Amino acid sequence: MSEPTPVLTSPGHAAEESKFQLFVQVAMILAVITGIEIITVYLPFSYAVLFTVLVAFSAVKFLLVIFIFMHLRWDRPLCTIIFFIGLVLGGGTMWALLTLFGADASKPLTAMAEVARTVLAG
Amino acid sequence: MSNAATGAIDHHFDPTTSTGIPNKKLLMWMFLASDCMFFGCLISTHLIYRLHPPPGTPSAKSVFSIELTSFSTFILLMSSLMMALAVNSIQKGNLKTLRSSLLTTILFGSIFLGCQVFEFNNFVFEKHLTITNSILGTTFFTLTGTHGCHVAVGVFWLTLMYVRSFQPKDTTADRSWFVRNLVHIVACLGTILLGMMLVLKLVRSLQGAPSFGAGVGLWLKDYWIALIGIAVTGTLMRILARPSGAVAFDEHNAIDVEMMGLYWHFVDIVWIVIFTAVYLLEYI
Amino acid sequence: MADALVKTDFLGKDEPAATKPFVIWRPQAKTGLISWLTTVDHKRIGFLYGISALFFFLVGGVEALLIRLQLMVPNNHLLTAPQYNEMFTMHATTMIFLAIMPLSAAFFNFVMPLQIGARDVAFPRLNAFSFWTFLAGAIIVNLGWFLHSGAPDAGWFAYTPLSTRTYTPGHAMDMWVMGIQLLGVASIAASLNFIITIINLRAPGMTMMRLPVFTWMTLVTAFLIVLAFPAITIALVELMMDRIFGTNFFEVSNGGMPILWTHLFWVFGHPEVYILILPAMGVISEILPTFSRKPLFGYPIVVFSGAAIGFLGFGVWSHHMFTTGMGTMATAAFAVTTMCIAVPTGVKIFNWIGTLWGGHLQMRTPMMFALGFIWLFMIGGFSGVMHAAAPADAEQHNSYFVVAHFHYVLIGGSLFALLAGIHYWFPLLCGRKINEFWGKLSFWVIFVGFNVTFFPMHFLGLNGMPRRTFTYDGNMGWNQGNFIATMGALVLGVGVFIYFAVMVYTWFKGERVGRDPWDARTLEWCLPNPPPEYNFRVIPTVHARDDWWHTKHEAAPAKAEAHGGPGHDHGIHMPFQSIYPFIAACGILIGAIGIAVVDYNTDPHVIVGKKLAVTLVGAVIMITAIYLWALEGNEGYHLHPEEEGHGHAPAAGKHH
Repeated sequence: MSEPTPVLTSPGHAAEESKFQLFVQVAMILAVITGIEIITVYLPFSYAVLFTVLVAFSAVKFLLVIFIFMHLRWDRPLCTIIFFIGLVLGGGTMWALLTLFGADASKPLTAMAEVARTVLAG
Repeated sequence: MSNAATGAIDHHFDPTTSTGIPNKKLLMWMFLASDCMFFGCLISTHLIYRLHPPPGTPSAKSVFSIELTSFSTFILLMSSLMMALAVNSIQKGNLKTLRSSLLTTILFGSIFLGCQVFEFNNFVFEKHLTITNSILGTTFFTLTGTHGCHVAVGVFWLTLMYVRSFQPKDTTADRSWFVRNLVHIVACLGTILLGMMLVLKLVRSLQGAPSFGAGVGLWLKDYWIALIGIAVTGTLMRILARPSGAVAFDEHNAIDVEMMGLYWHFVDIVWIVIFTAVYLLEYI
Repeated sequence: MADALVKTDFLGKDEPAATKPFVIWRPQAKTGLISWLTTVDHKRIGFLYGISALFFFLVGGVEALLIRLQLMVPNNHLLTAPQYNEMFTMHATTMIFLAIMPLSAAFFNFVMPLQIGARDVAFPRLNAFSFWTFLAGAIIVNLGWFLHSGAPDAGWFAYTPLSTRTYTPGHAMDMWVMGIQLLGVASIAASLNFIITIINLRAPGMTMMRLPVFTWMTLVTAFLIVLAFPAITIALVELMMDRIFGTNFFEVSNGGMPILWTHLFWVFGHPEVYILILPAMGVISEILPTFSRKPLFGYPIVVFSGAAIGFLGFGVWSHHMFTTGMGTMATAAFAVTTMCIAVPTGVKIFNWIGTLWGGHLQMRTPMMFALGFIWLFMIGGFSGVMHAAAPADAEQHNSYFVVAHFHYVLIGGSLFALLAGIHYWFPLLCGRKINEFWGKLSFWVIFVGFNVTFFPMHFLGLNGMPRRTFTYDGNMGWNQGNFIATMGALVLGVGVFIYFAVMVYTWFKGERVGRDPWDARTLEWCLPNPPPEYNFRVIPTVHARDDWWHTKHEAAPAKAEAHGGPGHDHGIHMPFQSIYPFIAACGILIGAIGIAVVDYNTDPHVIVGKKLAVTLVGAVIMITAIYLWALEGNEGYHLHPEEEGHGHAPAAGKHH
């Protein structure tokens, strides 16, 4: 849950004035990251490396949007806490489900599916 | 930080609540937490079925078009920027910037939806991936379709908010405002839908035609009624957007715009996840 | 969300009154049907929830009695096998979604805002919308009884592939899917409201660690609802897509995996059991201190355990699936988390015992039910921990042992606490108290009947009797247990009848009592009964946990403290009544009927068939109502009550 590096030090009126610039900068960063992501998938590295890089990129984008565009940085911490409760539980459930279905015991019996398909087709 | 002296509104503090967070903002954050679970389960469903695709599933890479998806991703990110600017401008009471930012957000949201319609058409009629003929189609269309519905709801909400910003302050003197309000909404929605249709049809006829001129000519011939329609709705929008006295929409409504903005940004971050998890991971 | 389009209210700035547009109807009725359809008062909405829940509780009870009568003797033919399937499906669905959950919601609505010293919930019209949507869902689920399709019959968990179109054709299952979907929408909307109310609308001085435990459990339950229901929403969407559009989510021949439904269902289903039990624990934590005349023992621990149960509740769902072959690792992991979650539950039991310890116990009817709760919930908890051990669970799975377990936690736990709560808060609801003799009689009959019904089921289960079996042969060794259980069920039925008969009698003719009849501890009891529609004339300032007790017994003679809140400058802000939540729910009901009940048009030449047309009509009504709801704004009027209980007629004009 690392906050992005604070660009502005003190929330307040000074921040209000320069928010426009900040929003445009963040949007540019987001666009650039998206561009890099698209190039990344064509790079000749192993799956694990590319996977990690892509997940890291989208995490950065995600955090930039929620903390800057959605003002979490300037709001009371309670908003962040509430959202992260949902995010952590949702993410945890995703992880658990994918782990469960990725386990050997959960692999579907594709041979059986094939049989069913031929029976239905024939 | 105290704005009492300056008379400005502190948009991050509401003195009437126990925590200082406006009720509506807290409601939206709680709802988004709930939506995290919602999309978490939906994205899980797609990824689980991608773990062990059954034999005979078409390869996702051969179906997807990374160029189109990258373009619509970029558009959605930019719409998020416009939304953030809209919130920023109404917090300063700048109604004019608010309206133009909202319209741009609506435009970008509609472009995203148009790209999705194009993509779905392309997948179904050219790549033969339908919602029923394979598990990939089932999960892909359900997931991106649900996200698309969220975007559509957002565009609808943005439209209502845009029209809301014209509500006159003194409704006693102006009895007809409600009818005008309804016509305005219909004109906006008509412009959006007709515009989307016309652009998609233009692309279709350019793809099929031997030359650029021929494509445009065919398009003009087939869709001149829709063109007149969009001219009418567009003119209506312009007429109804003329300034006419004081409006009941100012800094105090910033919380409503901000709440809508939170929803819009959330739809954007869901797409950030979908873009990586559903599209990009298929390419590595 | 609809409130987003209206003027902001949080700055409390009085602006010149805006004239309402001619399309907005502003009902003023304070009595009669219109006043109930348009009410935004949390107490009235709580009452509506309570009445509906009790009605469906009786319906579910009749279904349960039919099930028991069918199983009374071997090879019985009271019900046919399909009828039996409908009975157990609808019994579970009704009791869980239409009886216990709304009964808890009734308490949340009625009691929680009073406990925290709030004027109302944060979004009163959203609250009304939740109730009407709940009712729409309840109607859809039960519609099958009156139609050709029959009632839903694939079990309350609707396991695929049984619940897919291939094996359960017809509209009954569609109605179940849509009905549960609507109940989910209603529950989430209501819970969002409760969360915001508890976090943001506390009276001055009411810090989080001074909240009454019932309010704390409301908060945890609301979080669970908001975070668990999306999982079932997704599962139901997938099932609905499979059934209506022929997609492949659970279609094995095209690569679908039915086990995915089971997972998604229990991702929701397990937090759901805590959604059912946590409010009950909250009620108990209010009743025990009141009748022990002692503060709750270890308040922070009770609160923390409740929150821990809520959080851990999301990590144990697969213990419902130990026999599905998830693999050793997963099974072991879920067995461990399940055993862990027993710890905070056990901690609470010790806290309750600690509260009783050395107290001046008053054996009134609510206390009897509360003590019954502790015993029966403990028994249910013991058999629950037995299920946590995966090897043992493989033996007990899908047997009557499980039936015994969850009835001990759901009836002995949730229901006993809610019945206790009804007795406890009845004086606050209508100013009358239920007679002690008849109350205690109903308790003993229910207690005996319940144990006679469900204790033998432990043995039946271990002797191999499977769940959801519509009859059995005489030579299985199950005759005696089933006969005893049915006799117990009849006794239980008599007990419930006594309970309700006494309640209805009390409503009309019971003994009148004054303010605070139990000498209770929390803020809701400082109000006259029934409470005035504006709740507090002056929003109280809270100085201690159990503030009302503190005011009565420890603080200096209480003087209503002015804190410059809404009660003082310009009266009490009351929201206008609104019909639009009701109309929106009607639109949703029509749309759901279109999706679930109306047949497809098979004629290919008709573009907009009947099904689509009805659905669209519903959608248009809903969108129009929500638009008008947003347009009418959250305006209100001001009340200037001179003394408690006497509100002047709406005096000051509209304001924002």
